[in-house]
Amino acid sequence: MELSPKLSARFEKLQSSYPVKRSALIPMMMYAQDEYGYVSDEMIAELGRRLDLNNVQIEETLAYYSMLRRKPMGRYHMQVCTNVACMLKGGYEVLDRAKKRLEIGHKETTQDGMFSLEEVECIGACTGAPAMQVNYDFCENLTALKFDRIIEDLDAGRQPAPEPVTSGALHDRHWAETPLISRRWGMKDSHKLDVYVMQGGYQALEKALKEMTPESIIEEVKKSNLRGRGGAGFPTGMKWSFVPKDSPKAKYVICNADESEPGTCKDRPLMEMDPHQLIEGMVIAGRAIHSHQGFIYIRGEYRYVLDIVDAAIAEAYAAGYLGKNIRGTGFDFDLLIHTGAGAYECGEESALMESLEGKRGYPRIKPPFPAVVGLYGCPTIINNVETLSAVPSIIREGGEAYANRGTPKNGGTRLLCISGHVNKPGIYEVPLGMNMKKFLYEVAGGIPDGKKLKAVIPGGSSCPLLAADEIDIPMDYDSVAKAGSMLGSGGMVVMDEDTCMVDMARRIMHFYAHESCGWCIPCREGTAWLRKILERFHAGLGREEDIDMIGDLAKNMLGRTFCPLGDAAAMPTISIMKKWRGEFEEHLKGRCPYKSAEALVGSR
Amino acid sequence: MPDQKIIKMKIDGREVQVPQGTLVIEATRRLGTEVPSFCYYPGLSLQAACRMCLVEVEKAPKLQTACTLIATEGMIVRTDTEQVRQARKYMLEFLLTNHPLDCPVCDKGGECELQDMVFRYGADSSRFVEEKIHRPEEKWSELVYYDAPRCILCFRCVRVCDEGMDVKALGVGMRGANSVIIPNREDHLECEECGMCIDICPVGALTSGTYRYKTRPWEMQYVSTVCAHCSNGCKTTLSVRNHEILRANNRDLSGINQDFLCVKGRFGFDFTSHPERLRQPLLRKGEKLFPVSWDEVAQAAAKKFKAAYDAGGKDAIGFIGSNRTSNEENYLLQLLARATFGTNNIDHHRSADYTGLITALGERAADSLLTMEQLYQSKAVLLIGNDPTNQNPLVAWQIRSGIRHFGTKLFLINANEIKLKRKAQQFVKIATGQEAAILKWLAHEEGQLDPVLVEQLVQLKAGLETASDIAVVFGAEVSGAAIAALVAFGSKLPGKARYMALGDYANSRGAADMGLLPDRFPGYEYVEDGGAREAFERLWGAVLPSKPGMSAPQMVGAAQAGKLKALYVVGANPLAHFGTLGFGRGKLELLIVHEMFLTETAKVADIVFPAASAYEKDGTVTNTSGEIQLLRKGAEVMGPRSDLDLLRILSHQLEKLGLGKAFHDKTPAAVFEEIRKAVPAYNVPIAGLLTGGAEATRVQIARNSHAPYDVPAGLIRSANDTLFTSGTLGRFCTMMESLPEAET
Repeated sequence: MELSPKLSARFEKLQSSYPVKRSALIPMMMYAQDEYGYVSDEMIAELGRRLDLNNVQIEETLAYYSMLRRKPMGRYHMQVCTNVACMLKGGYEVLDRAKKRLEIGHKETTQDGMFSLEEVECIGACTGAPAMQVNYDFCENLTALKFDRIIEDLDAGRQPAPEPVTSGALHDRHWAETPLISRRWGMKDSHKLDVYVMQGGYQALEKALKEMTPESIIEEVKKSNLRGRGGAGFPTGMKWSFVPKDSPKAKYVICNADESEPGTCKDRPLMEMDPHQLIEGMVIAGRAIHSHQGFIYIRGEYRYVLDIVDAAIAEAYAAGYLGKNIRGTGFDFDLLIHTGAGAYECGEESALMESLEGKRGYPRIKPPFPAVVGLYGCPTIINNVETLSAVPSIIREGGEAYANRGTPKNGGTRLLCISGHVNKPGIYEVPLGMNMKKFLYEVAGGIPDGKKLKAVIPGGSSCPLLAADEIDIPMDYDSVAKAGSMLGSGGMVVMDEDTCMVDMARRIMHFYAHESCGWCIPCREGTAWLRKILERFHAGLGREEDIDMIGDLAKNMLGRTFCPLGDAAAMPTISIMKKWRGEFEEHLKGRCPYKSAEALVGSR
Repeated sequence: MPDQKIIKMKIDGREVQVPQGTLVIEATRRLGTEVPSFCYYPGLSLQAACRMCLVEVEKAPKLQTACTLIATEGMIVRTDTEQVRQARKYMLEFLLTNHPLDCPVCDKGGECELQDMVFRYGADSSRFVEEKIHRPEEKWSELVYYDAPRCILCFRCVRVCDEGMDVKALGVGMRGANSVIIPNREDHLECEECGMCIDICPVGALTSGTYRYKTRPWEMQYVSTVCAHCSNGCKTTLSVRNHEILRANNRDLSGINQDFLCVKGRFGFDFTSHPERLRQPLLRKGEKLFPVSWDEVAQAAAKKFKAAYDAGGKDAIGFIGSNRTSNEENYLLQLLARATFGTNNIDHHRSADYTGLITALGERAADSLLTMEQLYQSKAVLLIGNDPTNQNPLVAWQIRSGIRHFGTKLFLINANEIKLKRKAQQFVKIATGQEAAILKWLAHEEGQLDPVLVEQLVQLKAGLETASDIAVVFGAEVSGAAIAALVAFGSKLPGKARYMALGDYANSRGAADMGLLPDRFPGYEYVEDGGAREAFERLWGAVLPSKPGMSAPQMVGAAQAGKLKALYVVGANPLAHFGTLGFGRGKLELLIVHEMFLTETAKVADIVFPAASAYEKDGTVTNTSGEIQLLRKGAEVMGPRSDLDLLRILSHQLEKLGLGKAFHDKTPAAVFEEIRKAVPAYNVPIAGLLTGGAEATRVQIARNSHAPYDVPAGLIRSANDTLFTSGTLGRFCTMMESLPEAET
């Protein structure tokens, strides 16, 4: 088919950018969709020709990703988030307003083709909740009124200004904060190379390349006690040391920027305001494991962030921090940023690699682990944005100094995103091990309107919830684990006393059922079943036996699914059933004691 | 695999020794312990998706999937604990949430793996009270239907289509609980229609267009026999009800093909009940063929035959046999020609030069003929000519499986870019008809070839030289002296070369083995060889002719020229293939034909006997790699008789007229006993055959003083059938005619 010069150039570049051509498939579909509004039959044929793929290979890949579509949507696609953080702040009210105002439902388009509406899962704007995306633009801190104004503007041909940066990332620093990797946030042009270099950037890279060996880099990272910031908290230095040194295969560094754990939006500001710090961290990681190629896999929704990072990569190439013979040291490292297309599961490391290879994001059987058999079957390390962004600081100040910023075995600082019922929602960098209660009440300003705390999701919706009396604990991996939950991804969601926990359980399960990849039976069927029960229950049609059954089904998923997504769905559910069983019993009387039920019955 | 380390482990308290690298699920099967699974399927990639095979492993904190866990020394596994039983029960409960519970009306009922598992491991009640996800059933092709709600997403179909068939026609659509299997053309399939996806489906999600909703599995009998179509000899199990074939598959995984069958083996059986099937003997009276009684036709045949013999002598009579009749029938036919009529005018439509291969190998043949299993296990495969994907589907399957499981290297020499090229290490494209010249160069570096081609051949040679054993497979393009060159090349390779010639039809090989050849007795002994002749004269009690007879094309030419007076044709259509086409029977005075349908040859015959198909008779057939298997009678069709019966009837009538001796062996088994005496290579262990297996014949002949073997151009000719054609049988297969893919 005839392509525009821009798209054609984009395709040519993508096709030749990857070691294996098929990897270009998902980005190519995304860019094609940007231009045509959807992926047409002719486009599929075109992609098949260009990538040597048959129809079904393309169709099945496309069908997996929720952002990709085979039919056109409206010119402005309004994607309203109703996931936990947004729900607590009125996401459903915005969605209801949108339905009424546009007179369309979920995944429908107005007759004039101007608007379409979609209820979406967490878009990474939790500290600016409730939020939505208009195409790729973020609109945060929404109200029904603000939504109306946006529609009016668009109707009048005025483009509303998107958020300048992630809401909640910039705020007056609290004295207890210890900004390290977020210290350049808010500086003018902090995403530019010259500002980064002026602020001491790329010194760690020079040090790593000129004064250190790969072994000593890994040693330093081990000393730092840096643990993975994506959620699982695996020691980073140890992960790097698993890469077989004598393997003749290529080795890869992947940055997992598929931030999609509900309640989490820390990687977004890290990339939008300090992309060079991430790039520097990746080159150092590449040096440590003898890799010459890195990939940043960024979630599809973060397109503007992708553009910022892509520009930074170009700057880094021009200045010799990327490419051949970096800073005259003889070390080569190439870096490519790759867009996802809407799939929470692709945040799981092996599913991410499948996706990066241009396939459906199904997780892989482990062992072998990625350090041995990863991307394209080659040794690969994969780390979260925050983890890799911490690497330059570790190399610069030394592992020990970095470790001392936190508690033993939990080195360094941590970015926490706090959202929900809290006076100062935002992203804060604090030492690992800060007291959770202190953080909530002192740093984040406590609960609005003098209400009492009911529950906290400590690190993204996959974590068991903590009740108000369980949060007087240090926020490090081990202490939170001891309290029966996880530090997770640092996405903390706060619920006040008026929150309906049945609704919370329902919304959490709605997410996991939507995001289950469908590979294994217990997750695929379990999440879908639990979603249906919880919806019915919250709508007032619960039965007494359902209460035990919900917990029982969740327990039957736990530990038996292929990948951790099943556990992630089961754990919060089990904790809610255990700690707020009384609320379920109250629902048996036919109504939700909290206001959300009135909005719920009949409307969703 | 050689020299594998053996490890010891314990399963449910019982010690078991398995080779290193064995999966725990396979280890449990060795002990006869069932660890249930849906997605695990031997030979296909691992998935660990269904979670049915979760077992307890000592020191592991969580249950482990036995299908991905590799057994290690000292491992202690428990498959029957409360925790494991509970996990299975709830896994099935999850699975049934969106699965329709309408087993009584499901086509799979009675042979459904999900039904069996729930019966064995499931709960007796369901807690699911929500609405199930429903989708309408889809028709993907004449043969394949998909019912999404029944699909348990084990992805066996997707894998067998991709990994097994290299067709890649199936994929997965949507996500999560909404996941479905999707066909390659949006709402329909365009593929090889092999039906492997239907066969491998554990539930009623994929059903067969030819079988669905016709019957219940327990209402049928199951008859394992050999596919009637190509020369590969796949075992196919006929599902028969009231003597009618309703389905064919090989779900018991027996035979050389395991569960593999192509479209013909799985769906190509409806010729048995085709409306144009001949059901009565026909006798020409003037311009027309009239149905007559068996008595009348048998006497007429013998009388006319005797008259023709009396008038023209033995040289004026010819016999053309079939490449789809059984060994026993072929043996009797050549006996009729040689012993009764004293002529070597006997041949068949030759589609591969088996004679050339056996002759070129000489004494080495016994250990140099390649079996289907050896093909699968070979380190390297050299394929010259042919298009196995279309013409020899099992050969293609074996090659693909070998590449997948053992990393076999495939080298191709072909004038066409055949589909197997996708899997080849090296593809050497040559000009049509250039095979002989290429082989001559490879064997002796003789002849003028394009330098680019020479470079490729040097590379090919180097590639083959690194393999410890090489499967050499060739089509009809390679015959006569070219085979000698090929064997000369093969014997120079450092590795062990074994050979397979690819013929067209179910008993092409058996026809040659049984001496349906003008110059060879059964077992390829030369008719001029006095010693061999004497031995057969003793066995048959007759004086045998020593002069080689006419080949099939020569016989048709002679008939048309008036030199041949009578032609006896069994299961062949020579007038459509040989001689001057359109010239018909020429000046033949008598033409007798055994046939299932009124072919071009049968139409102009004087007498047509209605013949039984391979699915309607017992006996043996030999596949292209020389492996014998039993044919078992599955269907019963009113009217036709087996060719064995027809030949016996004729022999008795001839004896009455004073010509030859009647055949007294009443059953195929009795004839086979005689074959075992006549052809030493066929003296194979019977037990293997009776249990449904294949036994390799090791035909070999002694070298002698004969002139170098070669054949005239055009004598060996493949019909180049596709997946959707099959000579005469294919023309009368309603199912295959109905497929759009068949037109291309």
